[in-house]
Amino acid sequence: MSEEKKNEKAAFPFIEGDRIDLVAQISEYISLICKWNNNPRVRHYARHVWPTTPGDIKPWFEPHSGGAREVIFFAIYHKKDNRPIGTIGFFQINWLNRNAHISASIGESDYWGKGIVGEAAKLLISYGFTELNFHKVYAEVINPNSRSLRAAEKLGFVKEAVLRDGFYVDGEYVDVHKFGLFKRDWEGVNV
Amino acid sequence: MYTFIEGDSINFMPINLEHINLYLKWTNIAKVRRYARVLYPVTAEELKKFLEGQQQNGQIRKFIDFIIYHKKIQKPIGDCGLFDIDWVDRKAMVAYTIGEPDYWGKGICTEAVKLITRYGFEELNLFKLFAHIYAPNVGSYRCVEKNGYTLEATLKKDTYVEGKYLDTYIYSLFREDWIKQEVKK
Amino acid sequence: MTIPRLFPFITGEIIDLFPLNPEHVSLYSKWENNPKVRKYARTAIPITIEESKKYIERSDNKARRIVMFEIWHKEDKKPIGYCEIGDFKWQNRNAYIGFLIGEIEFWGQKIGTELTKLLVDYGFNELNLHKITAEALSANISSQRCLEKNGFKQEGTLREEMYVDGDYMDILLYGILKEEWKAES
Repeated sequence: MSEEKKNEKAAFPFIEGDRIDLVAQISEYISLICKWNNNPRVRHYARHVWPTTPGDIKPWFEPHSGGAREVIFFAIYHKKDNRPIGTIGFFQINWLNRNAHISASIGESDYWGKGIVGEAAKLLISYGFTELNFHKVYAEVINPNSRSLRAAEKLGFVKEAVLRDGFYVDGEYVDVHKFGLFKRDWEGVNV
Repeated sequence: MYTFIEGDSINFMPINLEHINLYLKWTNIAKVRRYARVLYPVTAEELKKFLEGQQQNGQIRKFIDFIIYHKKIQKPIGDCGLFDIDWVDRKAMVAYTIGEPDYWGKGICTEAVKLITRYGFEELNLFKLFAHIYAPNVGSYRCVEKNGYTLEATLKKDTYVEGKYLDTYIYSLFREDWIKQEVKK
Repeated sequence: MTIPRLFPFITGEIIDLFPLNPEHVSLYSKWENNPKVRKYARTAIPITIEESKKYIERSDNKARRIVMFEIWHKEDKKPIGYCEIGDFKWQNRNAYIGFLIGEIEFWGQKIGTELTKLLVDYGFNELNLHKITAEALSANISSQRCLEKNGFKQEGTLREEMYVDGDYMDILLYGILKEEWKAES
């Protein structure tokens, strides 16, 4: 109970949504994130082939030293149930070309199949285009991960490449589908 | 404790430095370390340094070690991992220690080898796994045999252990053979 | 030009590939800064020589993060550029190749094609890779030809990916699998 109270106090929404908010990743979430990244079902398509220990991810929670960030991550916070349930963010941010890749993962499997990733992605993408002034956003999806493929298409991403044998997953090579979404097309979809 | 790989009676977890005393115990108990690979240093400092070395070099790891966690009694009872990982030759050495002798002879080792073997082939995309086992250590080589490893070579009078020279058996398993036996199951 | 004290690591017909030569660092800088050269170089060589120093670790691990070579013109006896194979994903067994020919008089002379072949052969034959990837800016037709002549297949187009001289340009993605390379040779 006090754990939740702690979370409740600390989780100031950075971006507000309907069922979920995007909140800053605070160090209280370190062990949760470890649990998620190690969970065999979660890491299957997230491709964590190495275990994650708190020591591995602690550096992410150090105060940022200033200068351009290569990575911006949030915790996905479920409003009604008052708990963080996953992470989402931008990585490989290229400020000159004004593009970035999205990564999202719902660590608590109870929340799978409920459209949460779609909702979180919408919030993040809006933030990327309207606040960070991105020109384009990328999403890479491992082919058998049909949930994620559908989510990308629903958001308006367009397939730009098929990276053949891009990843080795569970004993075989699978293709990676690479999608792109332009700011101009996003504004069109959301008006 | 975070589950990384799920098994039937055991799970694999990342190494947790909070349990350093447990690891020290396993490394030092004569009965346990007798046939253990002489890789593990014995002071807490050295052990810590060795284990922290796992977080090196991003994706290019030289070794990976897991804690064997017994699901029913809910405690760590040993460790198992892949060592000397060679990414170009795509091979690695399997090594394991069941630190709590009460759990010897109960099939734990066999299951640990099963899980680490699958991890090496299916997740790390390796081509060959091998183990170095001293001849008298029947319990250990039965484990790998049950998992389909075959005796590839014997290094005669290879190591001096407790007053005698022992032969070292090299057992190995290739990915294609492992796949064949998995399909049969 | 200084006579090389280093030895060729990979030999070809028109060119050889040498380790990077610290005595040529000012040449490398000259190339990296030359506007004509660096226009398309951002895709070809994403890591500069300076940055690559971070990745050149003295280690007993066969797996590296990046490998760079100096391109040496055999007949004219001089360095004309550098190239790299890097961004290794050892579990997925793939890597990226790129090159930069700094001496402009050597552009368009089949050197790119030979260079690509040498790097690809090295990646598959010696590093045991499964797949090799490369990129080319849409306007960089000669790079695309080098790749296609070596059997690379276009896997996609990253539209408006890179901002070059006032406008966004597309980047073409290429890849070649080991079995496709085997078929070629």
